[in-house]
Amino acid sequence: MTTDDSSSSVRRRMGGLTRRRLLTQGTAFGAAGLVGGVTGFPFINRLSARAQGAPLKFWQFYAPGGNVESQSQWFEKTVADWNASHEQQIELEYLPNADYMDGTRLPTAFASGEGPDLFIISPGDFLRYYNGGVLLDLTPFIEDAAKSDFSESVIANRMVDGKIFGIPMEVEPMAMYYSIPAFEEAGLNENDVPQTWDQLLDVAQKLTNDQRYGVLFDVTPGYYQNFTWYPFMWQGGGDIQGADGQSSFNSPAVIQALKLWQDAVNMGAAPRQVLGGGGFDIVPNLGSGYVAMQNVGIWGIAALRDGAPDLPYGVFKLPVPQGGKYVTVGGGWAFVANARGANPEAAGEFCAWALASMSPDSVQRVTDWCTVAKSDMPPRASALEAGGAAYQEGMMGVFSREIYPGTRAEPRVPPEVYKIVSDAIQATMLGGQDPAAAAAAASDQLNAFLSGYSGAPVL
Amino acid sequence: MTLQQTDTAAGPRPAARRRLSFRTREKIAGYLFVLPDALGLLVFVGLPMLLALGLGFFEVDGFGGYRFAGLANYRRMWADPLFWQSLGATLLYAAMLVPSLYVSGLGLALLVERTNAWNGVLRAIFFLPQMVSLVVVALIWKMLTVEKIGAISRALSPLGLGGISFLGNPDWAMFAVVFVSVWFLMGFYMLIFLGGLQDIPKEYYEAARIDGAGPLSSFWFITLPLLRPTSFFVLLVSLVTAVAGGAAFDLIYVMTKGGPANSTSLLIFYAYQQAFQYNSFGYAGAIASILVAVLLLVTLVMFLLTRGGRFQYE
Repeated sequence: MTTDDSSSSVRRRMGGLTRRRLLTQGTAFGAAGLVGGVTGFPFINRLSARAQGAPLKFWQFYAPGGNVESQSQWFEKTVADWNASHEQQIELEYLPNADYMDGTRLPTAFASGEGPDLFIISPGDFLRYYNGGVLLDLTPFIEDAAKSDFSESVIANRMVDGKIFGIPMEVEPMAMYYSIPAFEEAGLNENDVPQTWDQLLDVAQKLTNDQRYGVLFDVTPGYYQNFTWYPFMWQGGGDIQGADGQSSFNSPAVIQALKLWQDAVNMGAAPRQVLGGGGFDIVPNLGSGYVAMQNVGIWGIAALRDGAPDLPYGVFKLPVPQGGKYVTVGGGWAFVANARGANPEAAGEFCAWALASMSPDSVQRVTDWCTVAKSDMPPRASALEAGGAAYQEGMMGVFSREIYPGTRAEPRVPPEVYKIVSDAIQATMLGGQDPAAAAAAASDQLNAFLSGYSGAPVL
Repeated sequence: MTLQQTDTAAGPRPAARRRLSFRTREKIAGYLFVLPDALGLLVFVGLPMLLALGLGFFEVDGFGGYRFAGLANYRRMWADPLFWQSLGATLLYAAMLVPSLYVSGLGLALLVERTNAWNGVLRAIFFLPQMVSLVVVALIWKMLTVEKIGAISRALSPLGLGGISFLGNPDWAMFAVVFVSVWFLMGFYMLIFLGGLQDIPKEYYEAARIDGAGPLSSFWFITLPLLRPTSFFVLLVSLVTAVAGGAAFDLIYVMTKGGPANSTSLLIFYAYQQAFQYNSFGYAGAIASILVAVLLLVTLVMFLLTRGGRFQYE
């Protein structure tokens, strides 16, 4: 066979395309792609972000097309109402809940300077973004009457130096839910609802059988587990940081709170694993009968209404330790605007217009979010008043009358602090470590961190 | 007839093009064919690796703030107990995963070595987990292992082991993650071993049988030695998978989030947490650099010990 024959046969197989032509065309195509990729496409992509008047991006985990239709509709209506009356348009961008809270989308967007113009954050994440310098001061957009309409404790952890950097949408106090059938099966009734920690452990043990756990405290390491543990620490007078700025974690109150969760697991009354999305997910846990009591926030009402409508259940406020004082924690998300976004002015205006104006529409919007779209306590006095009957009846009434009055806002802590607290909870609850040793070790770590910390105050 | 003659026959060419010899043009063509892949590696692997290495020398706040920090991230690593705990967890994971994958992959390959319809079905079944998303795999195993009501817990209940929390107890969690990793990956390694087994000439086994060797002796003196290059590849790839957290990251992210009590927090997961949950991108970069250094070192040692996987063979 000759080279000529060979080259002809290859050419035939390649449909008349010579190797030289293949390489030439391939190189040209590749170069065009490379040039386009390196220069053109990012430029074109950035054009949309840079263009004046382009829609502002609003990232959250509700809409459009979120899991709960009423919540998705609320967001869509809010944005549609704004778009109908303002030149600067806003566009909702949905991120799945897990991706939003634990994923890489938000951090990588900000790291690359492409963060959304508007987004929502919980107190647990406030310092991370505030200290990063991306939260816009919303104070100039909020009228004075509206500022005083917000509950002091709710707005405080979104403020730095008297300025408001986030507008809360809701207050979500934690309580204990219980299954009435499980209580009845164990020969218990509403008179046996525990009021102290000792009673809680005792009742939990009575409710435990080979298919069910008595009580569920969240077990997954993360912000949420810390959030649900804080009230137990506070009830005995404990805290993360003292007035002197030093760690106050190595205290009897902290040790007994760590021990409570450890005891519940060690005695077999609380699970080490949870079902569904985690400890916040009430339907797969309490609703399925896997647990008889569950430490969940006010959102559990709406979740059970939608996911387990036939389950008879009750709610009671968190039990307290011997000599302790009732406190619960109130979480909740807030609208925030990106100070480095395409149009911070309009973004800030939107936040105030949506949730912090004294106009009837704004007040009703907050009321609708807390009573129709979700089952939450409103952060504003006017919205609580507008909610009227919704806060007097049923489980919402229980929350409104008994649980909410003892609410302390979720603390805002830097990620480093949250991790130290999380490690102490995990080490004792699931790792079997001595609570006193864990509290002491965590306290040392906290002091080491706090001594070099220069961000906004930890609250 | 030569190529030059063919070119001449095709008509006159520019002088510059004619100066290139056939050998040079072949060389250029070779490089051009390799170029797209090399560029891809350079842009999508080499460059990020270099950037990650560089990131380790900066304090990066995740919001565009960079400050040169010298070796501060490395000093922090040295004093960080969670780094050492994660490194320990990674080594434990690798120490359990690599031999388990070797034994299970080779065992399955020997089981389905003969080509027939039944073995074809078995091979497909063993390979099936690879077709499923790791997230789905993790979710399914998470449900199976839930204490008291999970299918595995129910099955173990008659033995009095129904209360074991495979993913909620630090003493069990790592074993559970390794078990699921092996379950997911063994089909892939079975295929590699099958290729190696089918390359061994059957005459060797016939000769051994004539000489009176049993199955065990044949395996020990023929199969294993001739599988050395395959074994090298399997050990190397599974080690890289284990240390780099190829399969483990997704499993841990869904099943344990690094818990309970950091017991399944592998180094790759810890680096992820530092970067995306605590915004310490510089520290994460430093951890990633150490991870790469460990991998390079182990790979280098393996290559040196085995003469690049050729052992004594040329």
